[in-house]
Amino acid sequence: MRRILPGFPLTLGFSVIYLTLIVLIPFAALAAKAFSGSWLHLWQVITSPRVVASYELSFGTSLLASLINGFFGFITAWVLTRYQFPGRKILDSLVDLPFALPTAVAGIALTALYAPNGWVGSLLAKVGIAAAFNRLGIVIALVFIGFPFVVRTLQPVLASLSEEVEEASALLGATRFQTFRRVIFPAALPALLTGITLSFGRAIGEYGSIVFISGNIPFKTEITPLLIVAKLEQYDYQGAAGIGLVMLLASFSILVVVNGVQWWNARRINPTH
Amino acid sequence: MSIRIEGLSKKFAGHVAVQNASIEVGTGKLVALLGPSGSGKTTLLRLIAGLEFPDAGQVFFHGEEVTQKSAYERRAGFVFQHYALFQHLSVFDNIAFGLEVRSRATRPAKEEIRERVHNLLKLVQLEAFAKRFPSQLSGGQRQRIALARALAIEPRVLLLDEPFGALDAKVRKELRAWLRRFHDETHITSLFVTHDQEEAFEVADEVVILNHGSIQQIGAPGLIQREPANAFVQDFLGLDFQI
Amino acid sequence: MAGAIQDLTAVRSKTRLRRATEEGPLVRWMLILLSVGFFAAFLLLPLVAVFAEGFRRGATLYFKTFTDPVTLDAIKLTLVTAAIAVPCNTLFGVAAAWAITRFEFRGKQFFSTLIDLPLWVSPVVGGLIYVLLFGSQGVLGPWLQAHHWRIIYATPGIVIATVFVTFPFVARGLIPLMQAQGVAEEEAALTLGARGWQVFLRVTLPKIKWGLLYGIILANARAMGEFGAVSVVSGHIRGLTNTVPLQIEILYNEYAFAAAFALASLLSLLALVTLGVKTYVEWRARQQLEQAQS
Repeated sequence: MRRILPGFPLTLGFSVIYLTLIVLIPFAALAAKAFSGSWLHLWQVITSPRVVASYELSFGTSLLASLINGFFGFITAWVLTRYQFPGRKILDSLVDLPFALPTAVAGIALTALYAPNGWVGSLLAKVGIAAAFNRLGIVIALVFIGFPFVVRTLQPVLASLSEEVEEASALLGATRFQTFRRVIFPAALPALLTGITLSFGRAIGEYGSIVFISGNIPFKTEITPLLIVAKLEQYDYQGAAGIGLVMLLASFSILVVVNGVQWWNARRINPTH
Repeated sequence: MSIRIEGLSKKFAGHVAVQNASIEVGTGKLVALLGPSGSGKTTLLRLIAGLEFPDAGQVFFHGEEVTQKSAYERRAGFVFQHYALFQHLSVFDNIAFGLEVRSRATRPAKEEIRERVHNLLKLVQLEAFAKRFPSQLSGGQRQRIALARALAIEPRVLLLDEPFGALDAKVRKELRAWLRRFHDETHITSLFVTHDQEEAFEVADEVVILNHGSIQQIGAPGLIQREPANAFVQDFLGLDFQI
Repeated sequence: MAGAIQDLTAVRSKTRLRRATEEGPLVRWMLILLSVGFFAAFLLLPLVAVFAEGFRRGATLYFKTFTDPVTLDAIKLTLVTAAIAVPCNTLFGVAAAWAITRFEFRGKQFFSTLIDLPLWVSPVVGGLIYVLLFGSQGVLGPWLQAHHWRIIYATPGIVIATVFVTFPFVARGLIPLMQAQGVAEEEAALTLGARGWQVFLRVTLPKIKWGLLYGIILANARAMGEFGAVSVVSGHIRGLTNTVPLQIEILYNEYAFAAAFALASLLSLLALVTLGVKTYVEWRARQQLEQAQS
């Protein structure tokens, strides 16, 4: 088929070759390594108690952090799109800070803050709460890095909500809270779910911001990516590849969930589609 | 420079846009492609311009087959419905574009380019606007600049896609009359697309009526009004039922 | 209906010009304080801590950190890595965006999803795949050793891992922009006789420049700050395969806290500059988008 605009073979060819070299071949190596050698060994590694403990840890802390981000992220997105107040513009640009800040920097900063002798850590210690080298520390770090996802996903949706719909609701007698609960929130829900899922997806793979504050205590505060590194250091390439595959599977499932949410949302609006 | 198309057909993703279209546009004539939206008239125009390639059929410019030639090779000047002016270039640079991109061998000297651009600006009565940018112009002015830009490459034929579609009624009427006068002066073979029958009948020498991708009737405005070829034409033009 | 309007008028007169679609001022300010408070506590505080800790042992020691040869090597490596990774990925981003937004082809959706892959995958996995491919026990390991080429535990490995984690950014910055801009101007250029490269350089590039810059800035920030993927491939060899983030980790683990934070503050400054430039470029890119839609 002749194409009007020039450059199709060049651009597509270059991009595909680039992706093949950078992505497809290395991932094929991952799969190859995972299944090379004894499959029993592979199974043993990915189901060993220590590794399973890390799955639970990563999953549990990421979920909690994403929900917290969902709540505060919603409020922040709301406040940024609907209200005027001094410093609004600065807050808006700084929302992306966790995105722009290198993970290692975030990691050591959070540890310094929440360690028992840190600014916040010492305050919390007075009330008997330890916020570093345990699960709580991990959740705090994950809240930090996942925050922008919820806010940035919600902002355009909240900004595009039609004011007339809210006016109609008010004219029909709904209180402001009712309007929010019945009209605004349902409209924003898909974006909120997407944001939470994106935050979750980022959290389970996160490494740099966690390894400092977690303390890396086996069975207690080891996150799954750390175990991959551990396996590599032991030259158990197959084991590392196996855990890597499990993580990939998890990421892929999240991708499916996100697409599912979008699809559900489209169906909701267009039932006959 | 005449235009002839024979048996042109084009399908897009399963739906037929143009079916077996054959038209002849005599040298120096101004012909309108008229039809409701979705009738395939824009697709037909783009096929003639070389912005789409047909699934079947042929296109001839002055007897020479150009079906496989690209838009530029056909030397068809095209005026887009929404002007497609280069937003980041001044009016002058927009018009000069077709001359600036020529290879060194065929590119005119700077002085000549400047003269040609100013002549064109004079032709479309916008001499004072050379340094302005498209975003600073009104719709009608943009349309005339788009026309000047297309003329700069001295095209063999001029193709206009709903040239006045995006303008309001008063400006439309003025530009309509202007286009007719312009054509009378330059005699360049022109084909334009419209869904407005008043426009087609007022401006064109000949009208081609399209529906669902196939040609319903071709003829001079008066002839079509007296003798509509079928029920669709009658309906579309709102003519009285005649036995 | 009449009752509702009466109620509304009553509400209106009571609260003086509060629109039907606004919350009361009390609710509003509570929400603002809540979000700003959360933001300050969770997001700003760590940033402040970086600088505070960096200067804890005094300003002289702070600046001395940057004269340490190992640190300077780390900075150099980071700069070199970014200098290679960012242009490569820019080229890729432009090519991929052109292919996706200008043409229809089978597998386009899959291709588009593949471009987002590094954003979904743990950075450690991003490093892992290259170790499994190029490492001494990797798929290509023996072959590389036979030719005396080192990729893992050497600069090339670091560059490749960085390329992996940053390649989506330029493409993602360009695709929505180029999609919204449409092809009309490019088609017009074609009818006027411009050839392929002329169309791209004279028409497309000026239109996308802010979106392009936006993607480049994000890619650069990520390239310079990447930790997880690079940590896996680097081997942490001081002076040779340490980037700035890795050097920060080493200093921190050796309890050289002030030095670690001093280096961290450098990256934090980069982050702040990135955010500032990003905000400006975003504003310009949005202008271009709005112009395209008018």
